[in-house]
Amino acid sequence: MIRVAFKILLHDTAKYLALVMGIAFATLLISQQSAIFHSVMESSVRDIIDVTEADIWVMKPSVETVDQPDQMAELTVNRVRSTAGVEWAVAYYQAVAQLRTSTGQTKSVSLIGVDDSSLVGAPPTMLLGSLSDLRRPDAVIMDAAGFASIFPGTAPRTGDIVEIGQRRAEIVGISHTGPSWTGLPRVHTRRSLAVEFARETLNPVTYVLARSARGGSPEEVASVITQNTGLLAHSRAGFKARSQEWVLNYSGVAENFGITILMGVVIGVAIVGQTFYMFSVENLRQFAALKAIGVSNGRILGMISSQALFVSVVGYCLGIGVASLFFAVFSPQLTGGLRGMFMDPVIFVGTGVFIVFVTLLSCVISVRRVLTVDPAVVFRS
Amino acid sequence: MHGVVCHQVAIEFSTGAGPIRVLKGVDFEAPAGQLTMLVGPSGCGKTTLISIIAGLLRGATGSVRVFGEEVTKLSGADLVPFRLANIGFIFQQYNLLSGLNAAENAAIPLVASGMPWPAALRRAGTLLSKLGLDQHLDKLPRQLSGGQQQRVAIARALVHEPRLLLCDEPTAALDGKSGQAVMGLLRELAVHPDRTAIVVTHDPRVYTYADRVAHMEDGLLTKVEDGTSAAHAGAH
Ligand SMILES: Nc1ncnc2c1ncn2[C@@H]1O[C@H](COP(=O)(O)OP(=O)(O)O)[C@@H](O)[C@H]1O
Ligand SMILES: [Mg+2]
Repeated sequence: MIRVAFKILLHDTAKYLALVMGIAFATLLISQQSAIFHSVMESSVRDIIDVTEADIWVMKPSVETVDQPDQMAELTVNRVRSTAGVEWAVAYYQAVAQLRTSTGQTKSVSLIGVDDSSLVGAPPTMLLGSLSDLRRPDAVIMDAAGFASIFPGTAPRTGDIVEIGQRRAEIVGISHTGPSWTGLPRVHTRRSLAVEFARETLNPVTYVLARSARGGSPEEVASVITQNTGLLAHSRAGFKARSQEWVLNYSGVAENFGITILMGVVIGVAIVGQTFYMFSVENLRQFAALKAIGVSNGRILGMISSQALFVSVVGYCLGIGVASLFFAVFSPQLTGGLRGMFMDPVIFVGTGVFIVFVTLLSCVISVRRVLTVDPAVVFRS
Repeated sequence: MHGVVCHQVAIEFSTGAGPIRVLKGVDFEAPAGQLTMLVGPSGCGKTTLISIIAGLLRGATGSVRVFGEEVTKLSGADLVPFRLANIGFIFQQYNLLSGLNAAENAAIPLVASGMPWPAALRRAGTLLSKLGLDQHLDKLPRQLSGGQQQRVAIARALVHEPRLLLCDEPTAALDGKSGQAVMGLLRELAVHPDRTAIVVTHDPRVYTYADRVAHMEDGLLTKVEDGTSAAHAGAH
């Protein structure tokens, strides 16, 4: 009888397309907005994501989010280093500094000072130049999007000389990374140089990055560090979650995206429910005839569910296809706010599960008319 | 032995103006091997009676035996497979599935009973050929004339060889000529020693196709005659 269900469904092409389009639209809205939301939340912790080598971040207890660090004395690195369970620990420095081009333009940049000897904290993806170039005098690496905003219309290149904090700097490499919360150009350099660019008189660190020894979980080692040093230590994942929680609390991001995603759900449910309802009601007589002939309600429900399952899968594929295309086009771009945005597999699969569930639910609700129809109506003209 | 035996069947409907008694104690019999017509003026309760016989309408009092089975006592869940196995239906509005072609429509009762599509379509095709529709097996209902659609409905009603055939005004939506043709085919294909055929109509011109004609009036059975004398009387 499934074949009968499909024939009934596909016969009414206009309604079939309306159903598929409604579901595709809802899928697109939900998956795309969820993915952008997720990507924006990732951008709020860009520094944590970009440091792949360390699994523990140590900071002043007052720090709530990665973008608002509090300075610590350089000594703290040693205290972390000497904690049991720590394989290595290095200093990491963050600041905002002023950059001036040779033509006199100025711009704030996000300055990141990585460990002088190990270069832990350096950007994960290089477009031009190599990380080891950072060891050269005055060397900085700038991200491609930042370079484009400082040198509009210039293709990414190395060799430009700029001033940062009134000190000479040479761009020796171009990195590629996703957008950050502040949107400032990202300049990586050795920490010793970074404190000079930032015109610091002391030699501060903002974070101590550490690696847990083999066999110890970063969470456990972090809590040992917290206890022993009076500092605050988080695992990488824990600090990410903590920072994102702060962003969610102090911005309207969640509410904004929540509204759009909810709209997707409501529009989807409304279109699908409404169309399915009309579809079922218009075919009421045909279903009644089947019931009179001796097809049970259970089988009719099976027929209608398979119709719903079919349209929801087709609609989902269409919608997720368009959403994937969107990210396939924008994600690889070097500049622009959509660069590096991606759809997490959880969103990809979750949207599908949600869409199929909602479609089935809205169709089951709308087919109650069919299940309760008195088969005797087939005798009425 | 009688195919369908109704004894003192009565039913009330509640309406805005209070309950109305539509059947007032009908005694009606339709023997196997014959085509029994149920006739009478519009509103006298013919459709109501066959709906009760089919188990589509519950709440009647009295006794309705179909091949010895008391249908008023069957549960709703038992009635569904009972209908599928034993009853073929033909309606005034053909009630074909608009997305299915003629052969698929006619095959529905077989498929619903679990027969695989290819076998079901073969049997439906054979029957449709007998009904003169061999050129139209893959046509959708809207591509067929009313008479052709009703012939598809006849195939659907008979394809699973039910013991009881219930037809409600099968010719009412057709012009005289198609109506006669449909009744002729129905007579030819439906009447079978093991089958009870009941045709509701208020068209006296088709009485000649009946073995017996049962007259109803205002919720009661008034008289039963044989087909030829009824046709004769109807002609005057
Ligand atoms: N479900 C119902 N509720 C109320 N009245 C009904 C219902 N079904 C039928 N009736 C009434 O019962 C009477 C007999 O109807 P019906 O059996 O359809 O007559 P017939 O088929 O002989 O024309 C009519 O007056 C009709 O209005
Ligand atoms: Mg009637």
